[in-house]
Amino acid sequence: MNSAQIEIQLIASLVAIACAIPGTFLVLRKMAMISDAISHSILPGIVIGFFITHDLNSPLLILLAALTGIITVVLVEYIQKTGLVKEDTAIGLVFPALFSIGVILIAKNANDVHLDVDAVLLGELAFAPFDRLIISGTDFGPKSLWIISSILIITVVLLITFFKELKVSTFDKGLAASLGFSPAIMHYGLMSVSSVTTVGAFDAVGAILVVALMIAPAATAYLLTTDLKKMLLMAIGFGVLSAISGYWFAHWLDASIAGSITTMLGLIFLLVYLFAPSKGVIAVMYREKQQRTEVSLLTFLLHLKNHNEERERHVNHLQEHINWQKVRAKSVLDLALKNNMIEIDNNLVSLTKKGDAFTSKAIDYIITNEDAQIEDMKDDFFLFRG
Amino acid sequence: MLGSFAVLRKQSLLGDAISHAALPGIAIAFLITEAKDSNTLLLGALVSGLIGTFWIRGIITKTHLKSDTALGLILSLFFGFGMLLLTFIQKQPNANQAGLDKYLFGQAATLVESDVWMMAIVTAVCVFVLLLFWKEFKILLFDADYTKTLGFNTRFIDILITSFIVLAIVLGLQTVGVVLMSAMLLAPAAAARQWTNSLAKMVFLAALFGAFSGVFGTAISASQNNLSTGPVIVLVASVFVVFSFVFSPSRGLLFKQIRFIKNRRDLELHKTLAFMFHIAETHENISHPHSVKILNNFQGYTRGTLQKLVKKDYVTLDGNMWSLTEEGFKTASNLYNQQENDE
Repeated sequence: MNSAQIEIQLIASLVAIACAIPGTFLVLRKMAMISDAISHSILPGIVIGFFITHDLNSPLLILLAALTGIITVVLVEYIQKTGLVKEDTAIGLVFPALFSIGVILIAKNANDVHLDVDAVLLGELAFAPFDRLIISGTDFGPKSLWIISSILIITVVLLITFFKELKVSTFDKGLAASLGFSPAIMHYGLMSVSSVTTVGAFDAVGAILVVALMIAPAATAYLLTTDLKKMLLMAIGFGVLSAISGYWFAHWLDASIAGSITTMLGLIFLLVYLFAPSKGVIAVMYREKQQRTEVSLLTFLLHLKNHNEERERHVNHLQEHINWQKVRAKSVLDLALKNNMIEIDNNLVSLTKKGDAFTSKAIDYIITNEDAQIEDMKDDFFLFRG
Repeated sequence: MLGSFAVLRKQSLLGDAISHAALPGIAIAFLITEAKDSNTLLLGALVSGLIGTFWIRGIITKTHLKSDTALGLILSLFFGFGMLLLTFIQKQPNANQAGLDKYLFGQAATLVESDVWMMAIVTAVCVFVLLLFWKEFKILLFDADYTKTLGFNTRFIDILITSFIVLAIVLGLQTVGVVLMSAMLLAPAAAARQWTNSLAKMVFLAALFGAFSGVFGTAISASQNNLSTGPVIVLVASVFVVFSFVFSPSRGLLFKQIRFIKNRRDLELHKTLAFMFHIAETHENISHPHSVKILNNFQGYTRGTLQKLVKKDYVTLDGNMWSLTEEGFKTASNLYNQQENDE
């Protein structure tokens, strides 16, 4: 590993952290698509800034681009407020228009300079180390490293200072307003931070990857935890993990670093999506299956309670009568046996005392449909799962 | 045209997501066939667009992530994966690779005759299916639960609409490119929505707006050097939208503002009249003159409103004194009654 490789990984990780922080709040505030809009619509800002300064790394450029980002947010909100279209349509209308302006500006004026749409949208991390910050002849490392670190420091300072306010205004806007923090200031503050981060990162990793780095780690973390602090830390962790593994993947394939970091993010999300302990697809499906069995069990117990005749309580008859498949009937029967709800004597099924009490309770609940009783029922159902 | 459905179903950004999600499909189709046949590439785009759409559905229904997160996630992840594949392809020793990235930004000028025929055929199929399932689409759009109780297969209709949206997007990719496709889908529909409340009219208008912005955009971009077609078309469509927002007769901002101002003036006029009525009521003679000065403490009063009342013959002015006329008294008392009736 040479120094350029270390620098690339360092930049990628810092970008990942800087993106994960505002990204978490965007996901929680249901504004994830705004980041996509910002990342596209900063283009005209960058282009205009570039015409003025002729330097892709000047602070003015970042400022102008962030300004366009905020203009986007304001425009989207204005259109939404008129009530003519929904929010998502407003977003979908604003950013392509701004992006088109940017593309046309580039096409008309910047044909022969180092600025094209591909570079803005896709970025190229591999070249980042070659653009070095040199002050009075001393080499201080890549420029983008400095830019992204300063943005990251600002973000972290803001996060720590306003953590409480952000938390309250994210989860309960009304409460935040009544406590005296202006939700509008929080909103625009967050938007400005997102815009600045997007701009700072675009040159290193490209606009699309910025969106991926903002949303994907936060969404992945959201599947695993409901605690805000843990979610932030996990998002940062996932971001850095995929940044570094993505770099080596790209190294191995000799392909775009930005693309492979995104692919890594996608893989991590897919894994968590499928296997997350309580919210993953497989967990949800397992829970649904369990619930189905529980309902079947209840039906079965009710049937037993309703019929005293021997004929109705014969094992084989149960299979025919409730219309279950053999396997399902057996699993329900086993479950009931395991929990001492029934006893089988000579192929005749009858309720035990415990089963009888439980069934009466269930009937009580079904008839009265009162919430108080369902709480007890839930405790009872935990018995089955054990 | 299909955009109308997307807008009304609050899935506007789906277009954006699908157009990005189509990229890996194009790349994979190219990797498999090693040829740049536009039909196979489009097929790949279609498949990966559909996979993206259904994954978005899965995320929304199976987890607690919201639709915006799901959209953003799929969009960026698929696009990133597509980029990875594209750069990977570029490193492959294959002469055919050039030109794949034209799908990114679109280039209407590179279209050949067969592409145009293809588009025409697909458009015709879209229109046909739309007419065939018009009733089902409409009912699903506005009341999904009702549709289910009527016994329609909502899943099937849903998938049908989504597939056609994906198909339209994939075809449009060649013309305007990934980024601007969502605007092509949304802008005409959003503009059309302002002019009418009827679905049929809206779909028709959206198609019209779309066609016009296409024609104008191409014409403008052809008239000047260095103007790419896609962005110009999108800008023209945006101008249509802004125009519709401002000038549409029933929903437009301009007319809303005019109505608002007019209402406020009426209200002020009525307030002044009601105030005068209360003063005049205390006297036996309703046309008993009062000084203008006592009105000064009242908010709704301005010299303008007084003039207007005089013009309407509700009030007569005599120097610094005013008095209600017979008609004015009647209107004011009616006004008062009306208010009481309303309560």
